[in-house]
Amino acid sequence: MKVTVNGTVLDLASGTSAIDAVFAAGFDVPYFCSQEYMSPIGACRMCLAKVGAPRKDRDGSWIVDDETGEPKIFHFPTMMATCTTAIMEGMVIDTLSQDVKDAQNGMVEFTLINHPLDCPVCDKGGACELQDRAYEYGTGRSRFAFDKRHQEKHHPLSDLITLDRERCIHCKRCVRYFEEVPGDEVLDFIDRGGHTYIGTLEDGLPSNFTGNITDICPVGALLDATSRFRGRNWEYDHTFTTSLDDASGSAIVVDARTGRIERVKSGLNPEVNKSWIDDGIRFGHEYVDHADRVRRPLLRKGERFETVSWDEAAAFIAERLRGLSGKDVGIAVRADATLEEGVAARALAEHLGTGQVDHAPRHGRTLVPVHGATLVDVATADAIIVLGDVSEELPALDLRIKDALKGVTPPPLLPHGVPIADLRLKERMPRASERLTVVAAYRVDLMRHAGHTVTVPVGGEATWLEAMTAVAHGERVDEAALAMSRADAEALIASWRDADKAVMILGGFVLASAAATAAADALGKAVGARQVRVPPMANGLGLEVTGVLPSHARYDYRHMLAGGARALLLSGLDPAQDPALAERLRGCELLVVHDMFMTATAEIAHVVLPAASGFEKDGTTLSLEGRYLPVRAAPVDGGEARDLTGVVKSLGEAFGQRLEGRSVRSARRVLRKQLGFEPSELDRLGLLQPLPKVRASVTVTTDEEATGEALRVPTMVRPEYLAYNPHLRAALGDPALRLHPDDAAERDLRTGDGVTVSVDGVPRRLRVVVSDAAPRGVPLVPATPDAPVGRAVVDLDALEVDRRALEVA
Amino acid sequence: MSDVLDAPKPITSRFDPRFETTLYAHVGAAGSHTLAYYQAHGGYEAARKALGMEPKAVVDEVKASGLRGRGGAGFPTGVKWSFMPPVDGRQRFIVCNADESEPGSFKDRYLLEDDPHQLIEGMLIAGWAIQATKGVIYVRGEYYHALERTQAAIEEARAAGILGTGVLGSGFDFDLILHRGAGAYICGEETALMNSFEGLRANPRLKPPFPAQAGVYGLPTTINNVESFCAAVHVMRRGAAWHAAMGTDDSKGMKLYQVSGPVARPGVYELPMGATFRELIFDLAGGPTESAKALIPGGSSTPLLPWSEATLDLPMDYGTMAKHGSMLGTGGVIVIPEAKCIVDAFYNVVRFYAHESCGKCTPCREGVATWLPKMYQKLLAGQGTREDLVVMEDMVKNMRGTAFCPLADACAMPVQASFKHFRHEYEHLVDTGTSMYPRRREWAE
Amino acid sequence: MSAMHQLPTVTPFFADKQQLLSEILGRYPDYGQRSALMPLLWEVQRAERHVSEARVAEIAEILGLHATEVKGAMSFYGTYHEHPVGRYHLQVCRTLSCALAGADEMADFLEDELDLVNGETDAEGRFSLQFVECLGSCGTAPVLQVNDTYFERVSRSRCRALVDAMRRDALPEPTRERGGDNEAADPAAAAEGGAT
Ligand SMILES: Cc1cc2nc3c(=O)[nH]c(=O)nc-3n(C[C@H](O)[C@H](O)[C@H](O)COP(=O)(O)O)c2cc1C
Ligand code: SF4
Ligand code: FES
Repeated sequence: MKVTVNGTVLDLASGTSAIDAVFAAGFDVPYFCSQEYMSPIGACRMCLAKVGAPRKDRDGSWIVDDETGEPKIFHFPTMMATCTTAIMEGMVIDTLSQDVKDAQNGMVEFTLINHPLDCPVCDKGGACELQDRAYEYGTGRSRFAFDKRHQEKHHPLSDLITLDRERCIHCKRCVRYFEEVPGDEVLDFIDRGGHTYIGTLEDGLPSNFTGNITDICPVGALLDATSRFRGRNWEYDHTFTTSLDDASGSAIVVDARTGRIERVKSGLNPEVNKSWIDDGIRFGHEYVDHADRVRRPLLRKGERFETVSWDEAAAFIAERLRGLSGKDVGIAVRADATLEEGVAARALAEHLGTGQVDHAPRHGRTLVPVHGATLVDVATADAIIVLGDVSEELPALDLRIKDALKGVTPPPLLPHGVPIADLRLKERMPRASERLTVVAAYRVDLMRHAGHTVTVPVGGEATWLEAMTAVAHGERVDEAALAMSRADAEALIASWRDADKAVMILGGFVLASAAATAAADALGKAVGARQVRVPPMANGLGLEVTGVLPSHARYDYRHMLAGGARALLLSGLDPAQDPALAERLRGCELLVVHDMFMTATAEIAHVVLPAASGFEKDGTTLSLEGRYLPVRAAPVDGGEARDLTGVVKSLGEAFGQRLEGRSVRSARRVLRKQLGFEPSELDRLGLLQPLPKVRASVTVTTDEEATGEALRVPTMVRPEYLAYNPHLRAALGDPALRLHPDDAAERDLRTGDGVTVSVDGVPRRLRVVVSDAAPRGVPLVPATPDAPVGRAVVDLDALEVDRRALEVA
Repeated sequence: MSDVLDAPKPITSRFDPRFETTLYAHVGAAGSHTLAYYQAHGGYEAARKALGMEPKAVVDEVKASGLRGRGGAGFPTGVKWSFMPPVDGRQRFIVCNADESEPGSFKDRYLLEDDPHQLIEGMLIAGWAIQATKGVIYVRGEYYHALERTQAAIEEARAAGILGTGVLGSGFDFDLILHRGAGAYICGEETALMNSFEGLRANPRLKPPFPAQAGVYGLPTTINNVESFCAAVHVMRRGAAWHAAMGTDDSKGMKLYQVSGPVARPGVYELPMGATFRELIFDLAGGPTESAKALIPGGSSTPLLPWSEATLDLPMDYGTMAKHGSMLGTGGVIVIPEAKCIVDAFYNVVRFYAHESCGKCTPCREGVATWLPKMYQKLLAGQGTREDLVVMEDMVKNMRGTAFCPLADACAMPVQASFKHFRHEYEHLVDTGTSMYPRRREWAE
Repeated sequence: MSAMHQLPTVTPFFADKQQLLSEILGRYPDYGQRSALMPLLWEVQRAERHVSEARVAEIAEILGLHATEVKGAMSFYGTYHEHPVGRYHLQVCRTLSCALAGADEMADFLEDELDLVNGETDAEGRFSLQFVECLGSCGTAPVLQVNDTYFERVSRSRCRALVDAMRRDALPEPTRERGGDNEAADPAAAAEGGAT
C-alpha cells in the first residue's frame, strides 16, 4: 500500500500500523505503551499524528481534489494514535506540523504531572524512554503546581522485582506482558482512574518469566532487584551475547561495571527468544561474582592446597602425565562448553593418544532428529506434542509453544526491525489449547495451557508412545496404555495427521530412554511430525556434532569414572558428590578439576584450575534447533580464570607443543574447516545450518537405563549455583523435594522442612515442598548436570529431617 | 412542488393533536410492569408481527423509520443492525445498554421499573432482526428496583413462552441474561460494558473491531440503549411511516426528554423530536422556579447553551444542537439557575468525570481525573490566577480529541462551553477571590 | 515454582450455596464463565457487606483465575468494598442536579448528624456514609440511597426522619416518585412501589 509520511512515499504491506509506517519512513514519533511483540492498545496517546486518506465515491473512483487533480485527502477530525491505526491506500501521515507537536507536548505534560522526576536517583536514568521523550517532545516547563500523587516507592513485587508506583506511567506493558506472553495473569491494575496502580495478590509473582517486565517498563517503575542502585546505565558495558544457561540460544545483554556483572537483560533474536528470557537466565548470574570463586590455580600439597601460577600447575600436570600411558587419560567437559573448548578437549586427547574424551551430561541417543523443527516451526505449529517438562527444561520453548496457540505467525521485519505495533496482536487473544498435548509422569506447568494432557506412569513414556503408534497404524492396543479411550486417541492422532505442521518435543525423560526415543521416532513418522530434541545443557548438540565424543562407546564418561581412566581432567563436572565415585576418584593418579568453585571433586583433586564462567569467554554454541551463535566475553573480573582453550594452551606449553585449540582463534581454524563457515563472523542472530549426521555408534552409551520410582526433574534455575545466587535463592527457595501430600503426611513432613535424602546413593539436602504436582509415591528432585533428568531411586524412608534453617550443601 | 405542499406537516409538538404518547404511555399505571397489563395493552403484538417477517425486512423497517439511537450518540439504529455479518453459525448477541449514569439522564430507569416488557419486546424484535438468540441486559447496579422488576418480567416472559425455545410459537429461540453493573459510569461506553460483562476491568476496547464484528466474547454483537429498543417496538407496531411522521429532517420519532434543576415539575416527558426547549421547560415542566442563566441540553457531557428566548425556541433535535455547538445527547436537560456559581457547577461536572475516568489513557487519567479538578479546587479556594485560566483552557484543548474514548471529551467540551459563555464568572473569581454567585444552595425543609 | 499464597482458613462462602452458585454459573455460556465474576462478588458483598481477600481467592478458584485478576476487576467498581460497610450504607448523590437541589447541604447535615466523614463507618457498624456520583434520580433530586433503596426528594425534615428511623431499625418503605409525565398517574402504583 502506498503511504506518505511527511512527504516521503513508501510502499508497505496492508495491515501495517501507521506508527510503523512513520518509523519505516525514517521518522520518529514518541510512544510509551506500544511494545514489540505485544498488542497495541493506544493508551498513552503519545503517538498522535495527523492522518488523512483519500475516499472513494459511490461509483468506486477516488474523489479528486479539483485544484490538484489528485485524490482528495480527507483528514480524520481528531489526531490519531498511530499505533492503533492501520494504514490505508493513499494514507497521508503528518508528524511534523505544529499542531501535532503541540498535541505531543500536551501529552508529555500530562504524563509528567504525577511523575516524581527523581531521575538522579533512578536506575533507569539515562535509559529511560520517558526521560528521552520529555527532552525531545516536551516543552521543558511544568505548569502543574500541585502535590504529585504519592504512592509506594520501594514495593517488592517479589524478591526479584521492585516496583516504584510513583514512577509508573500506566502504559500497561507489564500487565499485558503477563497475559499475552507467558499467559500467567499475576499482575493487574488495581483501582481505577487517577488512583490506578499495578499490583498483585500472588506471592512472589508465580511465573518463570517475571523479569522481562523490567526490560519493557519504559520508566524506572519496575526494576531488577538484583541490580538496584548498582550503577547508572551509561556506566555499564553492554555485551551482546548468547546465554549458556540452556540450549535455547537466547540472546542476552550482559551489563558489567568495574569487573562485575550488574545485570543480565534480554537480547533480541526474533527467531529464537524474541525479546524474552526466563528468570533463571536473567537472575541466575550472581554466582559469577561470588567471593567463593576459585580465582587462581591450586595445587595439592598433602592435605592442603597451595596457590600456584598456571605455569606451575601445568608443569605439575605434564610431569604426572609423563608417567602414564596416554590411553589411560580421560577428558570430560560439561555440556555447556563452547565449540572452541570442545576443539581444545579433542586436541588434547589426540595429543595424548586417548579415545576417552566425552561431554556430559548427555543421553545415550543422538540429539539430531530425523526431521528437525526450528523454534519458528514450533511457534507456527498447529499441533504440538510435548513429552516432558519443557517449561523448566528449556523455558524459551514454553513461550514459543504459547505463540503457536495464539496462531499468529512471526511478524515480517520492517526497515526499523520488529514492528512496534503489530495490529494482529490483541489483548486477551484466545489460545487454541486443543493444539497442545502434554505428556509427563507428573503435573507440569504447561498442562494448564494444554487441551490434552496425559499423565503416564514413571518411565511410561515408551509404552504410551508405542500404544499411540499402534493406534496410528490401526493395530489393537490395550486402552489402559493409552490413558484415554481409543476413540479419543484416534481423534488426537487424526488431528496431528491433519495438521499442516505438527511438532513433537522430546524432553529429557524420553531421551533418557532408548525405547521411548525409538517409540517417539515411530509415532512421529506415523503422524508426520517434526521433532525437537531438548539437549540436557546449552551446547550438548554442538559438542556432539563436532565430535567431542569417545572413540568407542566403552570409553565414555561413565566408564572413565568407573575405572577406565587413571588420570582425569574434568571441566565443570562434579562426580564426587557420589561417595562411591569419590572413593574411586581418590585412587586416580591424577585428578585435574577445571571449575569455578571448590566442588566435592575439586576438594579431592590434585590440581584445581580456575574456570571462566559462560560470561567470561568468547566462543560459539549450537542451539537445539541447529543455530550457531556467538558467545562473547563481558568485561568481568574472573581473576586468572580461563576457559578450556586456556587450559590447553598452558598444558601445550608444558608439553612443548602448539596444540590446536590453544586459543579461541586456533580452535576456530579447526571449526571453520569442519563447519564450513567462519565462527568469528557470526552475528547476534546466529546461523541456522542443517545438522550433520553423527555416527550412532559413538553416541550410544552402554549404561543400562535407570530404574527407580522417583524422578529427577528439570528446573529453570540451576541448582548447582543456587547457593551462590542469593536473590534467586531468596525468591525461589532452596532446591525442592516435591512430595505428594499423602507421602508427606505419612512422614509428617511439611513444606519448608529441610531434609537430607539419598538420590541414587548421593546424599542431597533439599527443602520439602508438598505439592499435588507430584504423583503419589513419586518424589520429584531437581536434576543437576551430574545427575540429569530421568528416573531416580530416592529412599524416603532413609530421609533425615533437619528442621533448622537449611544451609545448602 | 405541490407534493411537498400537500404532504402533511411533520409532528414536532406534543400539542399537535396527531401526537400520542407511546414509549411512556404506561409508566406509572397500576401493574404496568406485569405481563398481564402489558398484554392487555397490545403487548408483544409487534414482536409477533416481526417474527412473521424476514429479518432483513425488520431491519429495513427500522431503517425507514429514521430511528436514531437514544443512548447519546444518535447513530441510526437500522443501519447499526445491518452491520451484523452474515449468519455463520456463531452465537450472536443483542445487548441492551441500561447503564444509564450520565448526569441529567434518568429515563431508562423508569422504563425498566415500570415497563420492562416493552424492553423485552424490543430486544426480541432486534434479536430476530439480527438473528441473535441471546440477549444481555446490562443494568447499572444501583438500579436495584429496576433490576428486580426486569428480572421478574424476564421470568414471567419465560413462563409464558415469550422467551426460551420457539418464542411466541415461532421457530426462533431467544433468551435474556440480566447482568448487574457495580458502580462505574464508563460501563455505559459500549465496549467497556462488554469488558465488564465478561468479568474484566471495564476499560473501553479498541475499535475496530466494532461490536458487530467482535463484541461480547468476541462474537457478533449489536448494542442499543433501552429507549432505542422500546422505540423499535412502536416502529414495528405502527410502521415506519408513523414514526417518520414525527420530528425533523434528521431526527425522527418521539423521544423521552428529561428535565432537572430548578423547574416546577422536573421529570421525564415524551415529546416528538424537534419540539422546543420552551415546550418542554415551560409548557410541560412548568417553567423555572427561579431565574435561569443556562441550560444543558442533553446530559452533563453536552455543552451548555446560554439561557435566552432564542435558545428556548430551538428545536431539540440532533442537527440543531450540533449547529449550535452542542449535542442532543440523551435529551437530559439541566436548567442552571442564575444564582449558582458557574465555576462550582462545572467543578461538580468535572468531579463526576474525574471520578468516573477509567484510567486507561493519559489525557483522561492525568487531565480529567487529576489536574483539572485540582485547578477547579484552586480557583474555588480563591487561589486562582488569570494565568491558571489560560492553563486550564490549554489543558482542556489538549484533552479534546486525544483520548482513547469519548469520556475525556465529555468532560472537556462542557468545560470549554462554560469558559466560552461564562468566562466573566471565572475571571471574577480569580480577580476577587470570591464567586460571583453563591456556591451553596437552599435545601428544602 | 511458586510459593502458595497462604490464607487463613475460612469456610468458603459458597460452600452451603451450591444451588445459587450453579444458578449463577449457569446463566453464562461455557466459554464465558468469567462473566459470573460480578454476580459472585455481588452475592458476597451483599451478604458480608464487603469482599475479603479470602473471598477474592475463593471466587478466583471457582472461575479458574488468579486472585489478582479478581482483585483487578473488583477494585474497578464502587460497589465492592474491601472493608465492611455499615448496616445502613448511606450514599448521597452530589452530582449537578442533586447539588442544585441541596445535595451538598444534605451531605453536610449527615456528616454532622452521624459524626462521620465521607467514606467512614461508625464504631457500631450501623452507619456508613459515602458521597457518590449521579444515581439517575436527577428529576427527583436530591436522592439518598440507603443500601439498595432510593429515597428521593429528600428534604431536611425527611432526611432527619430517615436517620431517626434507621436508629430505631425501622426504615420505612420508600415512596416511588418519578415526576414528569404520569407523575400521579396511579397513586396505588406508587404506594405498591417498593413491595416487589
Ligand atoms: C462514556 C460513555 C458513557 C456512555 N453511557 C451510556 C449509557 O449509560 N447508556 C447508553 O445507552 N449509552 C451510553 N453511551 C453510548 C454507548 O456507547 C452506545 O453508543 C449506545 O449504547 C448505543 O446505543 P444506541 O445506538 O441505541 O444509542 C455512553 C458512551 C460513552 C462514551
Ligand atoms: S478517555 Fe481514556 S481514561 Fe478516560 S474513560 Fe476513556 S479510555 Fe478511560
Ligand atoms: S445528579 Fe443526582 S441523581 Fe443525577
